Amino acid sequence: MSRVLVAMSGGVDSSVAAALLVEAGHEVVGVTMKTFCYSETPAHSRTCCGLDGITDAKRVASALGIPHYVFDVEEDFTRDVIDDFVAEYARGRTPNPCVRCNSNTKFRDLLERGRALGCDSIATGHYVRVQHASEGSRLLRGLDAAKDQSYFLWALPPSMLPKLLFPVGELTKDAVRARAHELMLVTADKPESQEICFVPTGDYRDLLKKRLADVHPALEPGAIVRTDGTVVGEHSGYAGFTVGQRKGLGGGFEEPMFVIEIRPDDREVVVGTADELLRDVVTVREVNWLGTAPSVGAAITVQLRYRAPSVAARIFDVDGGLTLELSESQRAVTPGQSAVIFDGDRVLGGGRIVSAASTVPV
Amino acid sequence: MDPVYLDHAATTPLRDEVVAAMEPFASQRFGNPSSLHRWGRDAHAALEDARETVARAIGATAEEIRFVRGGTESDNLAVVGSCLAAKRETGSACTLAVSSVEHSAVLESAGAAADRGDGILVRIAVTPDGSLDLDAVKAAVDSKPAVVSTMWVNNETGLVLPVAEVIEAVRGTETVVHTDACQAIGKVPVHLDEAPVDLLTATGHKINGPRGVGLLFVRSGTALAPLLHGGGQERGLRPGTEDVAGAVGFATAIRLAVEEQAATAARLEVLRSRLERSLQEAVQDIRINCADGPRSPHVSSVGVAGIADGAGLLMALDLEGVAVSGGSACHSGAGKGSHVIAALYGNDDDRATVRYSLGHGSTEADVDHAVRATAVVVERMRATARGAA
Repeated sequence: MSRVLVAMSGGVDSSVAAALLVEAGHEVVGVTMKTFCYSETPAHSRTCCGLDGITDAKRVASALGIPHYVFDVEEDFTRDVIDDFVAEYARGRTPNPCVRCNSNTKFRDLLERGRALGCDSIATGHYVRVQHASEGSRLLRGLDAAKDQSYFLWALPPSMLPKLLFPVGELTKDAVRARAHELMLVTADKPESQEICFVPTGDYRDLLKKRLADVHPALEPGAIVRTDGTVVGEHSGYAGFTVGQRKGLGGGFEEPMFVIEIRPDDREVVVGTADELLRDVVTVREVNWLGTAPSVGAAITVQLRYRAPSVAARIFDVDGGLTLELSESQRAVTPGQSAVIFDGDRVLGGGRIVSAASTVPV
Repeated sequence: MDPVYLDHAATTPLRDEVVAAMEPFASQRFGNPSSLHRWGRDAHAALEDARETVARAIGATAEEIRFVRGGTESDNLAVVGSCLAAKRETGSACTLAVSSVEHSAVLESAGAAADRGDGILVRIAVTPDGSLDLDAVKAAVDSKPAVVSTMWVNNETGLVLPVAEVIEAVRGTETVVHTDACQAIGKVPVHLDEAPVDLLTATGHKINGPRGVGLLFVRSGTALAPLLHGGGQERGLRPGTEDVAGAVGFATAIRLAVEEQAATAARLEVLRSRLERSLQEAVQDIRINCADGPRSPHVSSVGVAGIADGAGLLMALDLEGVAVSGGSACHSGAGKGSHVIAALYGNDDDRATVRYSLGHGSTEADVDHAVRATAVVVERMRATARGAA
């Protein structure tokens, strides 16, 4: 029997993940990572730190008869995830904090602290699958295509894969809820959390205002321009925009307008038509491969946003990162988001999108 | 192997005698002591008997005992109550002098009073060996505080603080002396003849009595303002329908704890020596905190070098079936450093702290299990830390 550390957020997925591991005969240790404070109170009082999730996780652990602990990772999380999130918006990009958290904070901490607790492997409630074989471990999309979370896990160090277990990746969300009901877990009917966990209001601009300097160009007014430089309006800070966004651009256009580029140096938000939004060449940096890197010319598929369908693509260049040629132009290829590379259901790796271009004349 | 509970400084199980004493008051003898009818009279008599028992255990008179809802409430009432009474008397903010190794119930309530503008907080420094700096006490007394509060036995280290010297230092002044004796009762001799403080806090659940009941001893003539307002129970200092079952259980627990104190201390002293000797043999580079000071026999605070994650050490010990705390259970869940260890060894002390605390029912087998588990876990964590470096 092996000792498994399971990260329990207090949601239904990780609750069921823990339950499945218990059923499988593992010695299971539940933990919740305390990542941030909702309140600005400096004191670490019990009321301030998103403790509802911790309370639910503790109740589930108790019902399952397993120990449960809280890992306080607030300092690391603030430095590695929140600071990066803010810096990316300040650069005019749209970050994926969950990718950042998984690769920089969550799994690394779980593994390190787990080892100290004598745990051989780490489990979470992510909807992904992992196949362990003698020639190496493979990360696969979750069985439930609608819930698949592989998009968030491309940046894991490959050496971690053999240590990971994702019990709910083999199930559909409906099956997970059904199991939670069967087990009468208190989290069975808990709603999905859709927001970024440290932006509970859903408006990340409040966070930027708090964490950026009093006067920061990302939050200063600037021009809304067309690709030819024509000024068509004013915005209240480019950090409030993301590529593909339609809201907040003002009216009076002949056809629907979208953000097609953010130029932080000039504080400009460039807008254009749906056609002007199309991109077919994507440049990616901070590339990570979970196994052997595919070679130039390899035909792969790439997913450019969470929940977006993947697109057939060809690896054009691997120099200094990765350049991808998409088989079909895509709308809203957004700097800061992840480009995740698949071979069928298997996650090969990915990187951060830094720019995108179009070879097709508009 | 069955898990062992070595966290008696956090809380303790009820003794059988206590359960038996409480049971009637949780069922048929349920009356409200303020009622005039027979149920009320019965409950009132039981409550006053309990008060008499408690008073006798610490050398007080029954009139000087206020039942309250536990140690934290007692500390708040003592510290803030005496501050408010002094402020009412003088019309200006009082000075509150508290030792820097107090329980958070004292530190935080005094801090809150200061934040509200009711008082000025003076924290009394400790000496490098963890005891009170008596010069600092004298300096604090010179600032004419309304109250000086110093605990009898420190909850994190077990160190016995010089309450008698503090009393000596305030002699002839108006300053009221409060001591939190929650960790002292039943472990070291606590008697008001020996240490004539003005206010003394004790609680049931640290001495195998019920939770949610404690006392504040208030020496006759000591001015105290209530923090809660209501029906005037406990001579107006703690209104609210009295918890008779709790008071009866507490009385039984404190009577037994005090009667058995000498025997308990002797037994725990032997057990703790076994624990510390074996730990030092089995685990390299550990420090027994406050080893040379006068210590209560139930606490052993151990600093473990080479482990950055103190909370992780407690988790690992729990997984090996050993229930202990860090500095103090109030903080061990939070994983933050202990203010007491920081006061003793400085903020830079990078040792993980484990507090083993012994009590009723602790055995040699428990201690031996704890030592074995500690050796295994510390070795693993140090190896992990070396591997990560």
